[in-house]
Amino acid sequence: MLAYAASREPRLAPLVSGIGAVGAVLLAFVLVRRTDELLPWALILLGSAYTVSLLVHGSSVDGGAPLVAAGLLVCAELAAWSLDERHSIAAERAVVVARAAALGALVAVSTAASGLIVALSLAPGSGLAWTVLGAAASVLVVGVAVRLARRPV
Amino acid sequence: MTRIVSPRLAAYAGLAAIGLLAGLVLGRVELIALAAPFALAAVAGAALAREPDLHATLALDRERALEGEEVTATIELSSASGADRVDVLLQLPRALRAGTPNPRSVRLAPGEPRTFELSLQCTRFGAFVLGPLLVRSRDRLGFTSWETRLGGREPLRVYPNVEAVHALLAPYETQAYVGNQVSRAKSEGVEFADIRNWTPGDRVRKINWRASARRGGGLLVNEQHPERNTDVVLFLDTFVDVESDDDRGTLDMTVRAATSLAHLYLQRRDRVGLVSFGGYLSWLTPASGTKQLYRIVDSLLQMNIVLSFAAKGVEILPPRALPPKALVLALSPLLDQRSAAALLDLRARGFDLVVIEVSPVPFVRPATDELSDLSYRLWRLTRESLRARYEQAGVPVVEWVDGVPLNVPLEEVAAFRRHARPARA
Repeated sequence: MLAYAASREPRLAPLVSGIGAVGAVLLAFVLVRRTDELLPWALILLGSAYTVSLLVHGSSVDGGAPLVAAGLLVCAELAAWSLDERHSIAAERAVVVARAAALGALVAVSTAASGLIVALSLAPGSGLAWTVLGAAASVLVVGVAVRLARRPV
Repeated sequence: MTRIVSPRLAAYAGLAAIGLLAGLVLGRVELIALAAPFALAAVAGAALAREPDLHATLALDRERALEGEEVTATIELSSASGADRVDVLLQLPRALRAGTPNPRSVRLAPGEPRTFELSLQCTRFGAFVLGPLLVRSRDRLGFTSWETRLGGREPLRVYPNVEAVHALLAPYETQAYVGNQVSRAKSEGVEFADIRNWTPGDRVRKINWRASARRGGGLLVNEQHPERNTDVVLFLDTFVDVESDDDRGTLDMTVRAATSLAHLYLQRRDRVGLVSFGGYLSWLTPASGTKQLYRIVDSLLQMNIVLSFAAKGVEILPPRALPPKALVLALSPLLDQRSAAALLDLRARGFDLVVIEVSPVPFVRPATDELSDLSYRLWRLTRESLRARYEQAGVPVVEWVDGVPLNVPLEEVAAFRRHARPARA
């Protein structure tokens, strides 16, 4: 993800890489020292590196944004999973498989939602405010659907 | 159940808000696309949260075990609604070691109970209460968790192993009831004691015809030593305990020795009593049988050091706890003046007293400077002087060092008692 952000604008590659590297170091620190309160800051730094490259590159919409978003989410979720396992607890296979499947489903749905947002913004006559509203509505619909699916019969 | 929401949920909502705001301000749809997965994860996390209806039971395959044995704990978990992940921990004291994973995580299907066994290795004696179980349930992505304590409390008593002792100390005097100890008195029995002149009332079968024929001048009869039981009182000094980092200490040694002695004396049909003389005073009047053994060992398992500055003497003990003619076997580190004085008082009252000094010396850290070394040597000298006071009073005092079998001090006491007898006023 960092390499992608840096390669988009070679002139500012050192700056983008620098911000991203600080984020990566902070993420490594979070994992090593198990300080989960610093995890959002690592994600913000990683996201900032991408934002800088985005702003410098120009006004064209980046088609790779959904993948970057999915990458950030995977990074955050795997780090959180790792932090959850800080105490050595012997987990049976079904527990690990269930979480991995849930994570996979979350990433797939997230990527699709991000892709939909980017695709909608490219449609003629669409405004940014409508895109934000559409994104919020889609998130809400997914949430309600998950809630209904989990409700006991 | 305590509900705990992961800070990740708030962090994801915050990240989503930052992304959406930044997208609107900077007019970049990519930032909204970046924010959308986090918003989705936060909403999904909140939607997935559902309190599981958990039930758990804990059972042990037995309530009593010996040191070194294995006890199996059976844990049964169930949830009517199911749970994606349930972490179960059975908190164990240091004396018990889990042979199988503890804690462990399991997945519960709705309405299907899960049972698993936990093998517990009893590494040290003690009275324990296991449970309740610490249970934590999490949703599938770990956004929300619920913690609670479930299951009952199960008692477990781990008894110390009995040390093999070749010869027990015999009291000088026996009691009135039948037992295995040959009495010094002359009466009906098996062991030959003496020959005396026949007196009216003597039974014909007691007449020693050979001796009577050889001596002439009247009939002679045999006399025997009767077999009687004895009373033994284990007097434990529980004022102070000196222990090392690995839980070995004077109290540990005292409890182990007392268990072995009680077991062996009761096996001989003697009556055994117990006096715990310390900050908390307790006693068991002498009795015999297996029930008494369990009473003594249960009492020993609950023995603790209670700090007290109250002056105490043996006069506060009820007379039944220290019956006359009983052998008082004291196990003491000889560190507290009150117990040292109480033992001398017992001797002065005419009790048949033996002191096994449970040596605290191996548990004391070596001196690091000159002053500490000097105080250490002074302390050793004070102990020597106390030992000399006991010996002057006719009380055998034997030092018992950690790692040495209990046989050794008992043999030393037996040797002392062969050559020295307490004087009677």
